[in-house]
Amino acid sequence: MKALETRALSKTFRVKRKQAGLAGSFRALLKPDWEEKEAVRGIDLDVEAGETVAFLGPNGAGKSTTIKMLTGIMHPTSGKATVLGFVPWKERNSLAYRIGAVFGQKSQLWYHLPPIDSFDLISRIYELNRGDYLARRKDLVDRFELGPYLNTPVRKLSLGERMRCEVAACMLHRPQLLFFDEPTIGLDAVVKQRIRELIRDRNKTEGTTVFLTSHDAGDVEQLCTRAVVIHHGGILLDEPVEKLKREVLSRKTVWLTLPEGSENLDLGELDGAVVAEREGRRYRIAVDLKRTGIEQVLSLLIGRIRIDDVSVEDPPLEEIIQHLYGMRSKGEEVSL
Amino acid sequence: MSGTTMRWKAIAWKTGAVARITMRQQFAYKTDFVLRSTFLLLILFVFAQLWSAAYEGDPARVISGFTMKQIVWYLVFTEALTMAGPPLCAKIEDEVKNGDIAVRLTRPFSYLGYHYASYLSEALFRFVVHLAVGSVIAWPFVGAPSFGAGWLGLLSLSVGALTLDFLLKAIVALCAFWVEEVRGMEFVLQKLQFTVGGMLLPIDLMPEWLQRVCAWLPFQAVLYFPARTAVHYDGAKLVIQLGIQTGWIALLGLLVAVLYRRGVKKLHVNGG
Repeated sequence: MKALETRALSKTFRVKRKQAGLAGSFRALLKPDWEEKEAVRGIDLDVEAGETVAFLGPNGAGKSTTIKMLTGIMHPTSGKATVLGFVPWKERNSLAYRIGAVFGQKSQLWYHLPPIDSFDLISRIYELNRGDYLARRKDLVDRFELGPYLNTPVRKLSLGERMRCEVAACMLHRPQLLFFDEPTIGLDAVVKQRIRELIRDRNKTEGTTVFLTSHDAGDVEQLCTRAVVIHHGGILLDEPVEKLKREVLSRKTVWLTLPEGSENLDLGELDGAVVAEREGRRYRIAVDLKRTGIEQVLSLLIGRIRIDDVSVEDPPLEEIIQHLYGMRSKGEEVSL
Repeated sequence: MSGTTMRWKAIAWKTGAVARITMRQQFAYKTDFVLRSTFLLLILFVFAQLWSAAYEGDPARVISGFTMKQIVWYLVFTEALTMAGPPLCAKIEDEVKNGDIAVRLTRPFSYLGYHYASYLSEALFRFVVHLAVGSVIAWPFVGAPSFGAGWLGLLSLSVGALTLDFLLKAIVALCAFWVEEVRGMEFVLQKLQFTVGGMLLPIDLMPEWLQRVCAWLPFQAVLYFPARTAVHYDGAKLVIQLGIQTGWIALLGLLVAVLYRRGVKKLHVNGG
């Protein structure tokens, strides 16, 4: 069964262009200059029920606009879409009972009240049976370990605690499809990991379809089975994450800080690792995992030089997307 | 239970839940309440002094059908109603500007219904508080509000008055779907209510030509009707006023619904 389907879905905005300065403002007042901006350009997409799809792209690629059309809060300029059998912008109310959404830094919790009050309100809005709601709340509170914060005003919660409450809140009504727009933005590594586990758990135990946008390669790797990359409003790539990992997410970044007075770092004969950037004593080493392993790089470095600090990171998703985009521009094979 | 009954029951539950949580949130704004109340005390004190000068301190004197007691209590009622209405225009404008409207629109509850429930809950709570605060000035200054059935008139017209106030503000607020900036229009609306709405001066005291203009505007049904009926109860007039209020609510309600339907199609939800 299809969770969502789009055909030639497009959205164009009219944006006012203003020239700099006071004169520009007067000119814009008398003779406004409008520009058409194509935010989403003819997207064809099919997502099966139970899939976990990462919807990726650089800032301004059209990810959020697409999610807003799929949740029914924006009307498309042209094209078609059905989500769980509903046309989102025409049947938004009926669809709302079946989907859940977390929009990055937009909160659904009442700022001055404890999360339990927002949960109770949501239970009424979604017309949940009182007994079912209480059982569901208990389950989510236990799984998300929200017990200690349930009665604390939201304004007193840390970002991580609040995000766990946000994610729990969007699951109270057992949605069949969850939309996440940057669910881990601004969170530290431990909280990110926890949120990912919780979303994954819902997908495994309840078969909830997950459709998320993120700038974090970790979200994609750990949560999703399929990645759809959009750029300039159109689909650039649609492939399983496993393949993406093997072929494109095959690079890691090692950050290295050497002690004061150290000699310049020379990786010498190490194949697959290059110094990509240097800031004083701090080096960024790009590692190609197809040619060497992180273990080999680290053991060579530790054996050869003294190190103050070391960390290993995934490359930023933007970098990967730019890489893919670059490949397509050059006419190389992007389909993996 | 039929489908329609169940649907209305569900809407009533949702409205009640939004009203309750809005009320709970009010308790977080204690400082705001104290400041507003202090300001109300100051305004009423100044107006009480002004009217005392106009009546030359004579409690028996009548100007255009109002004694000094009636005019001071009239002011308490109009001020309590004016200050009761939450800043709907600013709320909706902010929701559109920062994109928070996305959260509201993905809920299975009418956007306008949500704001109306929240508005009415907050407004009724504030109205009661402001009435109590206003009494602190008016009671010792001109005596107890012994208006008998006038209280019934005030209460029966106040819910409609606040509903109408909501609709007037909603018309301005929904313009944010097109222009994002609505504070200028809100300023104009507020000043119209202050003047031709009869907040500062009962419409009976205005020139006759202006009274005729006011009779065709919805603003009189927000402040003038409830406050005038409270201090000058007239059963027959109350029925007419309730009718006029209902008519305006139906007309403006329709306008708000049309504006919303058109606006939501044009809406550009900001932010990622």
